Amino acid sequence: MKLDLGNPAWVTTLPATRAVASDAPVAACAFSSNGATVGFGLGDGQVRLLSADVKQPASAVAEPVHKGAVLSLIGDPAGDGFVSSGDDGRLLRLALDGSATEIANQKGKWIDKLAAHRATGAVAASVGKMALVVDKAGEIKEFGPHPSTVAGLDFSKDGGRIAAAHYGGVTVWSIGAVTLPPKPLRWTGSHVALKWSTDGKFIATGTQENDIHVWRVAQSTDMRMQGYPAKVKSLSWSADARWLYTSSQPVFTAWPFAGKGPEGKPPLQFGEEGAGLITVVAAHPTAEYVAGGYDSGELQVGDIKTRRSAVLKMSDDSSITCLAWSPEGTHLAAGTDDGKMLLIDLRR
Amino acid sequence: MAQAQVPVTVLTGYLGAGKTTLLNRILSEQHGKKYAVIVNEFGELGVDNDLVVNADEEVFEMNNGCICCTVRGDLIRIIEGLMKRKEKFDGILVETTGLADPGPVAQTFFTDDDVKAATRLDAIVTVVDAKHFLGQLEQGSEALQQIAFADVIVLNKLDLVDATDLAKVEAKIKAINPYARVHKTEKSKVELDAILDKGAFDLNRILVFEPDFLEHGHDHNHEEEVKSLSITSDRAVDPDKFQKWMGALLQIKGGDIFRSKGILAIDGAPKRYVYQGVHMMMDAGWGTPWKKDEKRASKLVFIGRDLDGDNLKRGFEDCLK
Repeated sequence: MKLDLGNPAWVTTLPATRAVASDAPVAACAFSSNGATVGFGLGDGQVRLLSADVKQPASAVAEPVHKGAVLSLIGDPAGDGFVSSGDDGRLLRLALDGSATEIANQKGKWIDKLAAHRATGAVAASVGKMALVVDKAGEIKEFGPHPSTVAGLDFSKDGGRIAAAHYGGVTVWSIGAVTLPPKPLRWTGSHVALKWSTDGKFIATGTQENDIHVWRVAQSTDMRMQGYPAKVKSLSWSADARWLYTSSQPVFTAWPFAGKGPEGKPPLQFGEEGAGLITVVAAHPTAEYVAGGYDSGELQVGDIKTRRSAVLKMSDDSSITCLAWSPEGTHLAAGTDDGKMLLIDLRR
Repeated sequence: MAQAQVPVTVLTGYLGAGKTTLLNRILSEQHGKKYAVIVNEFGELGVDNDLVVNADEEVFEMNNGCICCTVRGDLIRIIEGLMKRKEKFDGILVETTGLADPGPVAQTFFTDDDVKAATRLDAIVTVVDAKHFLGQLEQGSEALQQIAFADVIVLNKLDLVDATDLAKVEAKIKAINPYARVHKTEKSKVELDAILDKGAFDLNRILVFEPDFLEHGHDHNHEEEVKSLSITSDRAVDPDKFQKWMGALLQIKGGDIFRSKGILAIDGAPKRYVYQGVHMMMDAGWGTPWKKDEKRASKLVFIGRDLDGDNLKRGFEDCLK
């Protein structure tokens, strides 16, 4: 996969894009594990499924699977469909024909964060103060209660542990057959987003105080990065774990984690200054690229090697709410708060 | 997508005062309006509405060194989640637990940028059980705080008290917070326009909401632990000195000052300067212009615990030209 961002012809040729509109905000988007289908979870409870092949007719399967809003959507790590959650307290496994199987039903609660582990086929979900892990066979284990509602969840690289963000820090649980005591990583305040690094060594959170906090998991030592004008609700580690990308800046912002780590170093900032602030950031799954969606609706793709970026979608006063790369990194999906669903084929 | 901020009404009050009855009354009488209702998990009665969100009151301290900067993280999360829904709301009603301190709820609307962009705090409505109120004051600080924070007080269960006891309750409420509008009711029966869309936190409506706000106030409740205090002056205010004084005051005494409001006649400025705050958090801006022949006067109001009237008065006088 090669994106020639330095080539004016690449930048000015509009990529093959499929756009679908809804009158409900897009809350989440994701590709299926095989990359053949893209799904969008909407604020009216529907999940729209589209073929990732932009040349195919846009025959969207749309099913009102949740009673309220869809809060999260991921590719099913144990199949070719999706897993969705909503403010109706249901966690669902969705097949490609739009039919849904209920994994969990916690009436009166919201299930708002999901994480998937491809190799083991496990799904993690936050339900209030608890974290649930559903294994490939559908068996559910519960972890918690945490000091507050879980606001971020992620798997370790090997899928043997999960990390949950809450008030006062992060708790790391071993989820395999051997159960170790939970490991607390402490930092005062409310942690609102969490991502475990792709090499398993670091856990990063965004805090209520517009900072990010990063722990070295093995040593339990930590660091704090400040200077954001807004909460950092989106974090993404590069495929090689050398960079942590963060939202809430007008340009791509990456903290260096290669070698001795980012202590005492400024973040690398690059690319064209966009309209507004980045709300969602997503590192490419295999290469040195990164996608950023802005609160103005602008969408950019950047290259950390050349430090260039290109605009894929102009601003239009609707905020980008979600971004997802296909597993091979050939396609990018984006959703907005006014109901736009975009699928972009980046191969030229 | 630019949309109007959704008004949020906070319903507070001691256990059994009639909060849920009031909530159900709002929902059944407001025909054609859509509300999202956020209730605590241990609610006494069922709430009849399409969208009821159960909240676990999750209060946390901001990690900024300010001990009184406590906010409700669950509200931040729920409001963010509600904005993902397709249908829009005419309002959000938040019912707190009977023992809740209204401070963290109010401060949530001053602190979080996403919450501020999507919603505005309209008013804090406190339901009071006329029969049990005086006893509840003895049991802890919650009943006291709920009165001190209130913009509107629904003095409920009038049928259960005689005139003498009612007079005592009313006097006590006035002694703590004379600025709240009191509506006397049975079974939480109150006109909805008395509690909804009050704009109590709207700087432009501080004057509208309290027409007697600029009348001369006096500090006559020396015996109360929690009370209100007002300071007035006809002399112009030096804005730099005022800012320094108020900043330092809130830094030191912010934990004890529950609510503060003020209208200032700034030296040489054509408009009123208005502000209002909850504990250390404050919101300020220019209000309506002074009329040509209008007497320019400033007034500050504090509601809080252990307020030192003489000290505050001296501090403010040092800010005058």
